Amino acid sequence: MPLVEVRHLSVDYRSRDLPPAHAVRDVSFDLAEGEFVGLLGESGCGKSTLGNALLRLLDRPAHHAGGEVRFDGQDLYALPAKELNRLRWREIATVFQSSMNALNPVLRVERQFRDTMEAHRWDPRADGDPRERVLEVLRDVELDAERVLRSYPHELSGGMRQRVVLALALLLRPRLVVLDEPTTGLDVVVQRSIVDLLRRLQREHGFSVLFISHDLGTVLEIADRVLVMYAGQIVESRPSADLAAAPLHPYTRGLLGSFADPRDEHVSVTAVPGRPPSLDSPPAGCAFAPRCPVRVAACAAVPPVLAAPGVGARAAGGAADVGDDAGGLVRCHRLTPEGADEPTVPDAAPPFPEVMAWASGPVSGPAGSADDAGGATPLLVADGLVKTYTRRRGLRREEVHAVRGVSFALAPGRVQALVGQSGSGKSTVAKMLTGTERPTSGTVTLAGRDVTHLRGADLRAYRSQVQMVFQDPFAALNPTKSVGASVGRPLRNHLGLSGEALRERVVTLLDGVGLSPGSLYVDKLPHQLSGGQRQRVVIARAMAPRPRLLIADEPISMLDVSIRAEILELLATTVQEQDVAMLYITHDLLSARLLADDLMVMRDGAVVEQGPTVRVVREPEHAYTETLLAAVPRPPGVAAR
Amino acid sequence: MTAAALRPRARAPQWFTILWRNKKARFGMLLLLAFVLLALLAPVLAPYDPRDRSFAGGLPPSAEHWFGTTGKGYDVASQAIFGARTSLVIGLVAGAIATTISLLVGMTAGYLGGMVDEVLSFVTNLALVVPALPLMITLAAYVPGGGSEWMVIIVISITGWAGAARLKRAQILTLRNREYIQAARMAGDGTFHVIFREIAPNMTSLIVVGFIGAVGGAIGAEAGLAFLGIGNPDTISWGTMLYWANTDGALLTGAFARLVVPGLLLALLTTALTFVNFGVDALSNPHLREP
Repeated sequence: MPLVEVRHLSVDYRSRDLPPAHAVRDVSFDLAEGEFVGLLGESGCGKSTLGNALLRLLDRPAHHAGGEVRFDGQDLYALPAKELNRLRWREIATVFQSSMNALNPVLRVERQFRDTMEAHRWDPRADGDPRERVLEVLRDVELDAERVLRSYPHELSGGMRQRVVLALALLLRPRLVVLDEPTTGLDVVVQRSIVDLLRRLQREHGFSVLFISHDLGTVLEIADRVLVMYAGQIVESRPSADLAAAPLHPYTRGLLGSFADPRDEHVSVTAVPGRPPSLDSPPAGCAFAPRCPVRVAACAAVPPVLAAPGVGARAAGGAADVGDDAGGLVRCHRLTPEGADEPTVPDAAPPFPEVMAWASGPVSGPAGSADDAGGATPLLVADGLVKTYTRRRGLRREEVHAVRGVSFALAPGRVQALVGQSGSGKSTVAKMLTGTERPTSGTVTLAGRDVTHLRGADLRAYRSQVQMVFQDPFAALNPTKSVGASVGRPLRNHLGLSGEALRERVVTLLDGVGLSPGSLYVDKLPHQLSGGQRQRVVIARAMAPRPRLLIADEPISMLDVSIRAEILELLATTVQEQDVAMLYITHDLLSARLLADDLMVMRDGAVVEQGPTVRVVREPEHAYTETLLAAVPRPPGVAAR
Repeated sequence: MTAAALRPRARAPQWFTILWRNKKARFGMLLLLAFVLLALLAPVLAPYDPRDRSFAGGLPPSAEHWFGTTGKGYDVASQAIFGARTSLVIGLVAGAIATTISLLVGMTAGYLGGMVDEVLSFVTNLALVVPALPLMITLAAYVPGGGSEWMVIIVISITGWAGAARLKRAQILTLRNREYIQAARMAGDGTFHVIFREIAPNMTSLIVVGFIGAVGGAIGAEAGLAFLGIGNPDTISWGTMLYWANTDGALLTGAFARLVVPGLLLALLTTALTFVNFGVDALSNPHLREP
């Protein structure tokens, strides 16, 4: 008997003003003892809600709308609260999103372990010496147990805190651990080590894991089996190697297309145009049909069932016997005997659009070969930039060397990537270029003019030539201002436009970033737009004053994978068509490979490697570059594609 | 999304819906409305002219004089009704001035930081530690024209802004590093525009809470000053009514209505404001909204 059996589970979000949103719709799956299952999906697909529903941790406005969760044969939704509390943490543990902040900041780590054991009635006679157990579990997560126990959470790094939280979850030897985005917000290299650790611990101790994540590469690499979720439903459930080698559902295919290995000779990714359906009125047929390039006539009208591929449409009840899913299950009309040969409907979208590694082909890309770099006249030259912060600690002064001697040149129509871990000083470099921070020493020259120490009106004039695309599209737009007002400000300030001319220019700009017709978006507020649309608005605003230099600080890291490629492509065409220079700051080597002509790797404030992207990624010279490359997930099977 | 955008905009604005849905806020708004109507319709509602002293002094409550008359022969009910005007006007004006000062000082200090912040924070802290009531008494008693209503308003506002300024400074510290503020600076917006057009709209509910609190404080301060006999004893306000009731020894003569009526009205008005504030809190924090 499987450890967890989920049957027809549904969760609604109910509120007074809006129709209920069906976040999880009739989900059924099993989790075997000792199985490592990944739950993959994009933001808003219901994966976190499903994770919480599994623990019966639904809070208002979420409501359990039907179905069962059987853990070891007991239906969690039929248990009295007291019984449920006995199960939680002892049998089913969880690590929540942003759980690095789950530790109580005013208690020492030791106390938090002790509290957990007391709350769950750790019995020294039956369960063993409590102190021994704490030391053991901390050693398991590869921490210096003695030191960590004495520390307060703020004295530990993000990665260490994440390990502590993981140790807390494993403390009582649970049989099931639900991990909700456990590595999001951590550095790539740290992420890598946590993922490796998790897999090792799971093998050694044999607990079951439900690993919830949007990160396709990691899920495919770490999980035995992957559940792909879309619009509240599971659309594909298959062993990860099979899924990676031959995805069946068109959505999974689209997701896989957004992933590639930056070290490959030829790199290309695809995007899935469109947006997921609104969950308050799920479509009559397949939820993915509007975005699907291979949809058939039945897709719009008949909801497909989750079935073994090739078996054919069964009765709705048939979906429940998920026990025989060794070969996998998929929810698609095309994979039933009836649907396989049906022609696609004429107006179906063309196959997922491809974004090529346009700038960094092995010989020469459309942008010209890397050798041109020396020939182009640089627009901006940063020479020996140093930034030292002085921090006062009591009576002592302490110096923090954020940036130590960074030099580079940016040329029009070319993209320079700046890659590094968080804390490497990349954002400080960006701030010195925009004049938000002044370098301790070194100079910034724009078109031959020293712009290092500009003030007042000069600084404002300089900023009309240097614009930024921000990381978080949800924070980069003022929530109280309409799209038109946000995009209009730089036009008004830098170009002196107003009235009808201003509005026309705003509409043109919005059209230019793919928000067409622009007039439809001018009066919208940010919360009415999706993340990708917001990022387009941010790009439109940055391009408004006709800048000569664009600084993009992690512009796609907060976006869903299926739309990242579109934004990358937009940035690439912007650079090409407007002939601007771009500094692309990222921790993601794949996007750097796709977008950038040149690449520099930063570590602890210094550049350790610099050169044409293809060369740096494929033949790294510095050991640190190799570490970064090794941190890129390499799922089995994808490479063989 | 589109359906919502196409719906006609005939319904009440969203903030009002949220306020109205909150039972506490609804109670507060209805009570406040009653006071506003009382003040506006005072000439209609009051049985007599509040300055008409042609009645016998010290009459007990009766059908002609609901709450009796004062020692000098004024009608208590009419004075109480007209007193709502003084309290509301002084409360609103002084509250608005105090809020404006707190906005200017708190937001400038929080946004600019550095030396400006040091100086403004020092002034704010100074205003916080100086005991407000003695300062008010001193100002009102010794500044020329200390008895006029305007003087009372100014005294109340310059002693009542500091706490709110501290709150606004703290709030702006969390907002000023948002990316959209950085974006506004990149878009060439000046400091004034960034503070009052980009940041301020994002802290509307805090400003409104501060304003309503300031109004309540000002109403209380006005009554307190009047009760102590500072200010013009001829104005018709609840504070002055209490002052005269006290000087006439209303408690000893058993004219309880002269104390209870203005006191209760004051308490009800500040209660109404507090209850409205519960609802405004819910505006900024969806967790406090009633389902």
